[in-house]
Amino acid sequence: MIKVLTNLCFCGSLLAFGLGTLGLYRFPDSYTRLHAVGMGDTLGVGLLGLGLMLLSPNWLLRLKLGGILLLFWLINPTMSHLVAKAGLLHGVKPAPGTKVRKG
Amino acid sequence: MRKHSGLLFMILLAFWTVLTGAVNWELTLVGAVTALLTVWFWQDLGPRLPRLPSARGLLRLGYALVLMVGWVIQANITVAKVLLFSRPAAKPIFLLMEPNLRTNWGRVLFATCITITPGSVTVDVDPETGRFIVHALNHEIGIDLLYWRLIDEIIALENTLADRTTLEARKGEKHGMVTGGTDCLGASGSVAGHHRPHRS
Repeated sequence: MIKVLTNLCFCGSLLAFGLGTLGLYRFPDSYTRLHAVGMGDTLGVGLLGLGLMLLSPNWLLRLKLGGILLLFWLINPTMSHLVAKAGLLHGVKPAPGTKVRKG
Repeated sequence: MRKHSGLLFMILLAFWTVLTGAVNWELTLVGAVTALLTVWFWQDLGPRLPRLPSARGLLRLGYALVLMVGWVIQANITVAKVLLFSRPAAKPIFLLMEPNLRTNWGRVLFATCITITPGSVTVDVDPETGRFIVHALNHEIGIDLLYWRLIDEIIALENTLADRTTLEARKGEKHGMVTGGTDCLGASGSVAGHHRPHRS
């Protein structure tokens, strides 16, 4: 049962990373590509971590993996934000047709 | 301040112990010294950190984190659909929004949650006005952000902490103590949260 769940997690992770990579080709500019990469960074890494936790022989290893996942989910949005902000500050132009809307 | 430093030291030492995977005096000593140095290096950060939440606040935070996992999965599915089935693949927008968050930590939390859900990235946050510049993959994702239930959850968390701060300040007054630095996060002011339809 655990092996089936682990395989499902790894397949889901592969799918998320694969779709993220496809997004790098399909999306038109740096800003939209960040969204595609975000798929691998959140669901891809999360499912990979979950699969590895299921395979782990002891709780200490599971705790370590949990810590690594938590750090990853804290660092990843910070880096994405920095890339987007640096792009905007340095005049990286968004794709044609990008609209500005006030909420 | 001391409470913050102590807590940070304990967290760092616990993290060190988990990573090393062994408990003996040499490793613990190295971990303790490293944790102490880190706490000393970051001591100026203490006053900027939010107050420690109460048990109710921690429960609310845990609940919000569980909801967040669901939203992240939902956002991944949305982006996958846009990627595979939408022609053209993206109709991006820059959204300027001003959620009614009063504290800096609330804004940071919200900005992080926006970016961690694929389909939206926080590009900038103005600390003076609380205005967010968000890049969204399409118009629908952008509009969903405006009515996201998470905003209400963070406002409720801010209120929980603000209540605690007020209680502590009253206790301090009662005992004739000076309670400075409680408003360093902008915890004063009225709640301007209005009812929003919830993001499903």
